[in-house]
Amino acid sequence: MIRLVRDQSAQIKRASEVRFTFDGAQVPAHSGESLLAALIRSGHLHLRDAPEDGAARGGFCCMGLCQECVVRIEGQVVESCRAMVTSGLAVTSLKART
Amino acid sequence: MTEHVDIAVIGAGPAGANAALAASRHGLSVTLLDEQSKPGGQVWRARSAAILDAPSTPESAAGGALRQRLQNSAVARLGDTRVWQIERTEDGWVLHLLRQGRVEQRRARALVIATGAREFVQPVPGWTTPGVLGLAGATALFKQDLTLPGQRTVVSGTGPLVFFVAAEIRRLGGEVAGVITPNGRGDWLRALPAMLSRPDLLLRGARWVADLMLAGVPIHWRHAVSTVAGDGRVAAVGFRPLDADWSPVGAERGIAADSLCLGNGLIPAVEAAELAGVALEHRPELGGWLPRRGADGETEVPGLFLCGDGAGIRGAAAAEIDGRLTGLRAAQHLGAETASERAALRPRYARAARFGMAMTALSMPRKGLAELTTPDTIVCRCESLTGGVIAAEIAAGAGSTNAVKSGLRAGMGACGGKFCQTAVARMIAAAEDRAEAEVPPPTARPPLRPVPVSALAGEFDYSDLPIPKPAPL
Amino acid sequence: MSQEFDIAVIGGGIMGCATALRLSEGGMRPIVLDQGDLGQGASGVNAGTLSLQIKRVKLMPYALKGHHAWEAMGEAVGFHKTGGYTLAFTEREAGLLHERQALKAGAGAPISFVSERELRAAEPMLTRKVLAASHCPEDGYANSSLTGQYYRGRLRDQGIAYRERCPVTAIDRDVGFALTTAGGPIRARRLLLAAGAWLKPVAALLGVDLPVRARINTVSVTERMPPLTASVIGHATGLLTMKQKPNGTVLVGGGWQGRGTPQAGRGQVSADSVMPNLALAQYALPALARARVLRSWTGFEANVPDFYPLAGALPGVEDAFVLGCVRGGYTIGPYIGGLMGDFILGREPELPLFDPARDFNEDTI
Ligand SMILES: Cc1cc2nc3c(=O)[nH]c(=O)nc-3n(C[C@H](O)[C@@H](O)[C@H](O)COP(=O)(O)OP(=O)(O)OC[C@H]3O[C@@H](n4cnc5c(N)ncnc54)[C@H](O)[C@@H]3O)c2cc1C
Ligand SMILES: Cc1cc2nc3c(=O)[nH]c(=O)nc-3n(C[C@H](O)[C@H](O)[C@H](O)COP(=O)(O)OP(=O)(O)OC[C@H]3O[C@@H](n4cnc5c(N)ncnc54)[C@H](O)[C@@H]3O)c2cc1C
Ligand code: FES
Repeated sequence: MIRLVRDQSAQIKRASEVRFTFDGAQVPAHSGESLLAALIRSGHLHLRDAPEDGAARGGFCCMGLCQECVVRIEGQVVESCRAMVTSGLAVTSLKART
Repeated sequence: MTEHVDIAVIGAGPAGANAALAASRHGLSVTLLDEQSKPGGQVWRARSAAILDAPSTPESAAGGALRQRLQNSAVARLGDTRVWQIERTEDGWVLHLLRQGRVEQRRARALVIATGAREFVQPVPGWTTPGVLGLAGATALFKQDLTLPGQRTVVSGTGPLVFFVAAEIRRLGGEVAGVITPNGRGDWLRALPAMLSRPDLLLRGARWVADLMLAGVPIHWRHAVSTVAGDGRVAAVGFRPLDADWSPVGAERGIAADSLCLGNGLIPAVEAAELAGVALEHRPELGGWLPRRGADGETEVPGLFLCGDGAGIRGAAAAEIDGRLTGLRAAQHLGAETASERAALRPRYARAARFGMAMTALSMPRKGLAELTTPDTIVCRCESLTGGVIAAEIAAGAGSTNAVKSGLRAGMGACGGKFCQTAVARMIAAAEDRAEAEVPPPTARPPLRPVPVSALAGEFDYSDLPIPKPAPL
Repeated sequence: MSQEFDIAVIGGGIMGCATALRLSEGGMRPIVLDQGDLGQGASGVNAGTLSLQIKRVKLMPYALKGHHAWEAMGEAVGFHKTGGYTLAFTEREAGLLHERQALKAGAGAPISFVSERELRAAEPMLTRKVLAASHCPEDGYANSSLTGQYYRGRLRDQGIAYRERCPVTAIDRDVGFALTTAGGPIRARRLLLAAGAWLKPVAALLGVDLPVRARINTVSVTERMPPLTASVIGHATGLLTMKQKPNGTVLVGGGWQGRGTPQAGRGQVSADSVMPNLALAQYALPALARARVLRSWTGFEANVPDFYPLAGALPGVEDAFVLGCVRGGYTIGPYIGGLMGDFILGREPELPLFDPARDFNEDTI
């Protein structure tokens, strides 16, 4: 089939794989990428529960504004779309029950 | 410690970066600040350090060229730096910054604000489901991390961005389950004359659409996403046909997908300009509420200049020239002679702005789209407030965005109203039959971004706290 | 077409609204006019602290009565009686606290000092650096953001006319008063000036000079946090008030000053105030360090040189009255508004008002 927009995914070279944990689960990632990207790629879309109704939420604006993607690192709430993956990082969610 | 520079520029997108370069060429000391780690802004956002190599795109090339020019210039760059408060002093400006978990100040004689835009998404049932990303937001994921929103994505929204996002998903190896756009083919035909000024962009857009058609991806013109289904993650996307005013008419159909990119145009990020003291005006053709400015980015506030999409959505090409004009105007304010240089640039700016405004016209939602927000739809994401609850507050007499914010907390949550206030203002205007121009956004409050208490407090001894005399007994 | 009312209330803050309610209960037909929305002035942006511990001694009887009024308003205004602790961290502050709380207790506030153990049991997250702490079980807070919503509802329920986004720009003495407003002319037999920090320009419309000045107080709020404190926390100097709302957000105030004037529009937050204010908050409650501040704002709090209220007849203008400049005016507002209403209705107020014709430079109260 003719493609006017070619699939270039095979040409992308990423830094070597590292791991971090999200609520204890191992997440493969590449150091230096955004936490949100790594979480999305590994299927972790549900990052927090909305405080008022408990509904599932995840990254939305991808630019550090909406605060939907926030997670906790070393006790501090951070935007996962702006946080960088480092090897061994322990990330926890803002879910009501985990 | 506080450093003094001639000009501080907030925002290293095409507008701010070019403003910085232009002023710097006139020998002024310029500091360029951005919360992203590298310059480029939203349109030319840089790749993360995790990407060692990847095929070039027009965006990555333009961003790379800009970063190179900055590298070769005398402009001082401060990345990963969030401006959280802006204060005017007798001899200029103090910017309060958050960098690496600490607050710092920078002083400048003149200030250029080029904070760009954010997107507007008309709330629909289920738009808070994980797996729904902003349409423009998704491009950040593509540009920075070359990562897809999911395996099978519905792409929906207005203007050219919807086709760019669909094309990028295909380029990065994903599957586009369908494209849904409120624009009709006729809207595009009407925009054609303005687009002829940029045949390159026209051709690029045409390729995106042709590629989708060749690949058999359904394109639903004059349709909009009406529901998102899925428990904890997107499972299916419902969509409905629209009439000429973009009111949903006719039955809903569905597409199975695990992700959705959804957006309805951009709105200028005006809060920084508001904190700096500029009044807003309503200009729907430029994206809605804008800080008021004059020629070449000047404002009523001495020493304050504005440029780029934050001063009206005209697109990246216009933002570049607008940035240059504004940087030169700021340089003039500090004594450089730039009038003839600016006069030569203005026709180019006008051409670029004309193209950009045609795209803005395609992207701006029409009135009927608001009907997609049902009484059960969450409008304020932070506080989980539905359209029905907000409508009831308006009916009970809350006639301003400030009043709705106070009464319900719509706009008091973590995002500070960035993703609900436009919808709320339109609800008030519609319910009270007032013009949108009569319902401004709520008062902007610092910090512009959340700041940890530990950063504000810094390291201090109790005895250092400047505790004033207690109040009278 | 001009409409005729028994009284026009200029200013829809807590003072104007509370007075209008009493006037209407007493049989008058008032109209409330506000240049913005109801309750978006000081009454809608204040820290919401209902604390007897920080009230002026001579205003204590009013504050005590005011507390009952808040209790009655309850959930609709986000009222919570949590009790409050006032902390001293240095010998000097402890001395100040003992001295002041003794006077306030003498004026009727149920304030006592607590031991370190008691404080730790009640508020385990507070710093261990407290030298002295007083406690008042009557203290608490309400949600000032709800002022507008609450009074809008009350005015509506009582059939009281009100106009928002309706600044009064001129006042003519006629048979009664003829008001020029953004919403057209309004006629009223009497007038109550309740324009908060804008009292000076509004009184000037009648040729009266009121020595009203404004302080620009700052308040900040954090994102939602896990439970950190269950009481209203104050500081011996009054420079910290802190409370955690049921939703987890922590509100921090204490009268740190921003910039601006009421005439020039909204005030501006001064980072040089916010930073030490939050440093003091973090000093008192170390776990606050992790919270992110989402918003800081300012409001204008009016005062006259003796820092006592203006509450009574407007000097030199028959049938005109003024109510404002009440320190701790949010706490006292609902009560003193009632007193003001009684006074205008020709009844004897339960507690005395504060004559606006007094000499502000003498100790006349
Ligand atoms: C998410 C997103 C993606 C977009 N993608 C495209 C695209 O692919 N193609 C296209 O043609 N248009 C795109 N646009 C439209 C965009 O507005 C462009 O027209 C262009 O980026 C505008 O340039 P600018 O310099 O005015 O603003 P921007 O490029 O948005 O630059 C503004 C900069 O200011 C910074 N900033 C803002 N506030 C602060 C603060 N308080 N402290 C520090 N830094 C701050 C931001 O990080 C940003 O880098 C996008 C818009 C958005 C919101
Ligand atoms: C930041 C801050 C924190 C505070 N914290 C506390 C606290 O914790 N506890 C406490 O008890 N007290 C507190 N106070 C004090 C308290 O808020 C005030 O004393 C009280 O709200 C004053 O009420 P008011 O009705 O007199 O004024 P406002 O609420 O300011 O009302 C005046 C109204 O007049 C309107 N107006 C002005 N000019 C015109 C015109 N020309 N035409 C029509 N309308 C006009 C304004 O729009 C405004 O709504 C605080 C004050 C501030 C500013
Ligand atoms: S996705 Fe919006 S802040 Fe991260």
